[in-house]
Amino acid sequence: MPTTQENWNPGKAENRHPEVTYEEKERLFLEVKNDLRYEEFLYGCYECGICVSACPSARFYDFSPRVIAQAMAREDVERVYDILTEDIWNCAQCFSCVRCPRQNNPGGLVTILREVSIKNGLQESKDALQGYSRVIYKVMLKGNQVSPDMLQPDFFPDWGPWVQNFSQNMHVWRKAIPMDSIRGLTDVAWRTDRKTLLELYTIWFESGNMEIIKELDESLYDLLTEVMQEELEEG
Amino acid sequence: MSSNKILVIGGGPAGLEAARSAAELGGEVILLEKRERLGGTPDRENYAKLTHHWRDASEAMAELASAVTSHPRVQVKYQAEVKGMSGSAGNFKVEIEAGGVAESLDVGAVIVATGFQHFDPGRATQYYNYYSFPDVITLTDLEKMLKEHNVVRPSNGQAPKKIAFIQCVGSRDRQIGNEYCSKVCCGIASKQAIELREQLPDSKVMIFYIDMRMYGYWENEIYWKAQEQHKVNYVKGVISEVLKKGDQLLIRGEDTTMSRPMEVTMDMVVLSVGMEPSAGTRAIAQLLGVKQNKYGFIEAGGEGGLDTVATSVPGIFVAGAAAGPADLNDSISSAGLAAARAMSLVRA
Repeated sequence: MPTTQENWNPGKAENRHPEVTYEEKERLFLEVKNDLRYEEFLYGCYECGICVSACPSARFYDFSPRVIAQAMAREDVERVYDILTEDIWNCAQCFSCVRCPRQNNPGGLVTILREVSIKNGLQESKDALQGYSRVIYKVMLKGNQVSPDMLQPDFFPDWGPWVQNFSQNMHVWRKAIPMDSIRGLTDVAWRTDRKTLLELYTIWFESGNMEIIKELDESLYDLLTEVMQEELEEG
Repeated sequence: MSSNKILVIGGGPAGLEAARSAAELGGEVILLEKRERLGGTPDRENYAKLTHHWRDASEAMAELASAVTSHPRVQVKYQAEVKGMSGSAGNFKVEIEAGGVAESLDVGAVIVATGFQHFDPGRATQYYNYYSFPDVITLTDLEKMLKEHNVVRPSNGQAPKKIAFIQCVGSRDRQIGNEYCSKVCCGIASKQAIELREQLPDSKVMIFYIDMRMYGYWENEIYWKAQEQHKVNYVKGVISEVLKKGDQLLIRGEDTTMSRPMEVTMDMVVLSVGMEPSAGTRAIAQLLGVKQNKYGFIEAGGEGGLDTVATSVPGIFVAGAAAGPADLNDSISSAGLAAARAMSLVRA
């Protein structure tokens, strides 16, 4: 039995996605709301704005953790759908917002929303993550962090002014502090120990992460599983 | 043997009013005060003007105190502390020490009026830097400056031109554990904003709030007055950080009605610190064995919730902010009721 009411919310968002039925939007909303974590991620909001104030993304994008919390609390199904298809990909998942005096966790709400978006194969999540397939491939296969030279600094203003410098002079930084690095795609990212790598592969599979990748990008999934399974069999 | 004397613990507004009321009803009262002078927190923390009738706080406290000291049926003991208690309603034996001399008192009823203390902003979960930046002060710090007519930036001794108040510091916060509203800070900040504009007519004053809780007549007597006559600006959105920018303070928050993050520079930032039980309230609750609520205030209300001055121990009553955040009027009202309840017990 749906718990939402269509007409009570005075600030209710307009229907910006008429191609999707209200029932479908409501189903996705309820999937978020019924997540086990939801209750302790959103107690209630008195709109103090501390989450927005602490949020790095809010400073650079049209993104507001407060609006996300409010939209969820007001059960504004239309707006939550907008958030589900747009806003959530502007969150850096840094969780600065957890300093909320009500102990809400807007970043955690975004985590749930992202999972729901991907699990349901929303095209917007595929589009949003498309630019990351190389990064995902690298991170998941090599087990290493992203090195700044892999990014286009202009797209990451929230990383701060230093990212440009790091990005362009990564080789100099690595010469200054030598470390075991990966040859090939990039020779400046850290090399991950083989045992750790195999453990990570196991985790990706066991935790359902590979299923999420499959939903997102089938060819990326094929590429990853082929290498990972081979390595795991080798042990 | 039962006693008809009433012991009042604490010589602040609530204790003074409880002592005066009980004495006027014909009771014999012993009033214990920890310090060498009466007047409680308004006196000790140099309160300037009171929100009610804009009265001078020292004058108002002196008036309350003299009604007690001049009353033949009230005996005031200074530098006094309770050391132990036994017995029950109508027949308590209280061990005290006053001025270094131990004494044993037989009393029929006890009124606890040990009050509150201001929240220590060092415990705030937001980054306000009270102990790092001299120009970040509290309501109490500003109250003293206003009283002395000397509002200056502690960092350079000059008059501030832009002043921000941050509301709910230490109140309404699950992270800190103080989920309650401290009731008075909205009114006090607005009152101080008016005083600031009176003393420094060139200054700009902003109040950053979650909800303005100007209950009753504070609405038109203080809130509207601050906005309409004194052009104090109210912004819905609480500050999360106070940073340094040159010789100014940079405050960071969200202007929630405009729905955008904001950064503004200020000369001085005033933290509207809330109320917590005083050390004396915590100690006396333990000593007398009266139940405290989860915040450490003395639990009042009795079984039905409406016996507002009853504690968990029959014969022990509570008045004022020892039972939870209260303004001066509320404290004095509850003190009168505590006196009446204590008197009816010792006369029975």
